[in-house]
Amino acid sequence: MSETLTLPAPIITEKQGRFSRWWHGRSRFARQTISLIVILLLLAFAWEGLKFIGGDPWRPANNPFGIEHNPPFRFKIASDLNLPHLWKIFEAFGRESRRNGPPLIQVLAGAAVFTFREAFLGFAIGGLLGFSLGAIFAHSRVLERGFMPYVVASQTVPILAIAPMVIIWLKAGWLSVAIIAAYLTFFPVTINTLRGLRSVEGTAVELMHSYAASTWTMMWKLRFPAALPLIFTALKISATASVVGAIIGELPSGIRDGLGGAILNFNSYYISGPERLWATILITAFVGIFFYLLVSLVEYLILRNRRRPE
Amino acid sequence: MPPTVSIQNVSKVFNPGETNQVLALKEINLDILPGEFVSIIGPSGCGKSTLLRLIGDLIPPSSGAVLVNGKPAPQARLDQDYGMVFQAATLYEWRTVSKNVQLPLELQSVPKAERESRAREMLALVELSGFENHHPWQLSGGMQQRVAIARALVMRPQLLLMDEPFGALDEMTRERMNQELHTIWEQTNKTAVFITHSIAEAVFLSTRVVVMSVRPGRITQVIDIDLPRHRDVDTRETTRYFELVNLVREALRRAEAGL
Ligand SMILES: Nc1ncnc2c1ncn2[C@@H]1O[C@H](COP(=O)(O)OP(=O)(O)OP(=O)(O)O)[C@@H](O)[C@H]1O
Ligand SMILES: [Mg+2]
Repeated sequence: MSETLTLPAPIITEKQGRFSRWWHGRSRFARQTISLIVILLLLAFAWEGLKFIGGDPWRPANNPFGIEHNPPFRFKIASDLNLPHLWKIFEAFGRESRRNGPPLIQVLAGAAVFTFREAFLGFAIGGLLGFSLGAIFAHSRVLERGFMPYVVASQTVPILAIAPMVIIWLKAGWLSVAIIAAYLTFFPVTINTLRGLRSVEGTAVELMHSYAASTWTMMWKLRFPAALPLIFTALKISATASVVGAIIGELPSGIRDGLGGAILNFNSYYISGPERLWATILITAFVGIFFYLLVSLVEYLILRNRRRPE
Repeated sequence: MPPTVSIQNVSKVFNPGETNQVLALKEINLDILPGEFVSIIGPSGCGKSTLLRLIGDLIPPSSGAVLVNGKPAPQARLDQDYGMVFQAATLYEWRTVSKNVQLPLELQSVPKAERESRAREMLALVELSGFENHHPWQLSGGMQQRVAIARALVMRPQLLLMDEPFGALDEMTRERMNQELHTIWEQTNKTAVFITHSIAEAVFLSTRVVVMSVRPGRITQVIDIDLPRHRDVDTRETTRYFELVNLVREALRRAEAGL
């Protein structure tokens, strides 16, 4: 295959520097990943910066740089109890989670896998439900008008009120947690599926009509592929929401094996070891980001042949 | 033999009863016989695309009747009696060039191997061999339009409906494409309805040229192109060709002046 006419070169003006050139040469996925890492680093700097200006005194034995430093201010929020040093948090991963127990990282990794499985199941259920609702509404204005208000209303009922209800109906366990996660994830998928399926323009539809294509063919050969970019946008939102949903679902179900259980547990021991709760929060964020990146990766693989946005 | 396309007293009103009501076509009568190549030429907005959509049953007439192959237009569409090339190429960006050309075959469940070989054949015909695996957005506008032509031809329809298919091409490529299209028409005995803004193209390709005028869109003149059936580069240099070009030009001028 000749590559000569393929990729339209990014527009590069004389003024743009080497960095800009290099940056625009990366794939969208690579750019996303790099931005994410840079933002995380900036956050870490801000965190320790705040502690440097207004935290508790730094003791040589307690920080990896071995410095003695007395911050000029004392902000309550930046105290070692409220905002432990990042290295303390990372240290906590290696220490045992309770007396004679396994290291914290092992406990949290197990909990993360457990919660991720619930979230993933919820994401799958919510995604399918969201897509189906969107597809039905896209084909019937009557159903859309009849049911959309309830779909919207469902999102105004707090998940904290729904969660105990689902657990009463379905009994505490995997499935009910997944359903709660699904409840948080289906809505954006419904909205974007509907918008995407309806976005198809005149002549693209006329072409299908000229082939006397059925509604079904029109759906799978035209509307669905055209809607995919919008659907993926929604799925990325849903991926992170499903992790939140799973954690919230664990709380009233009394499930102790997931991150929700870990948060409750280390929350009650906060005074004696704040870094353990922070470590749990970090892992929770990591699960959300991991899920988001996973969906982004699938999106990239499926949509990489589409026209790049200018 | 019944006419391939029969347009009987057809009018088309868009948005009837609303403030933005448009009388796009007024009382159009036109019969197109099998094997004819009819070009439609006229000022922008005179309803050429609308007329082609009516033949293809993509929109219904407001009054009058459209018959294709003796059947009502909706039936002909269901029977896949025609292949259509739209004014915009209308390729699906997620499909490769070859997959775009294969689309109509895919909908007819033609086996994969045959689909691919027929798509390759058609792409060769429009001089796009080697671009099978490109995506539409990697091609120029003119190349995209040629993919659309390959897609219309791949079903081997007896009736071709084409809306300015060569509008985006440079003069030389356009003449080459004209020759290709002429050869296909000459060899396969297809019937063609062809919209264009180019007088030279209309005369070179057609057996008849239909001239339309604007507001409301109607047919003002039909000019028989009595050139020999076979046309090639030499045709464009004959006196008769020049005479016919002038005839069409004058008819267009009159149409634009509203005479
Ligand atoms: N879907 C529509 N709704 C309302 N008005 C329309 C619609 N389609 C076409 N028209 C109107 O009908 C008239 C004829 O349009 P049409 O597209 O058939 O013109 P055309 O002869 O193909 O022009 P061009 O040479 O610029 O392609 C125009 O006034 C246009 O505004
Ligand atoms: Mg037009």
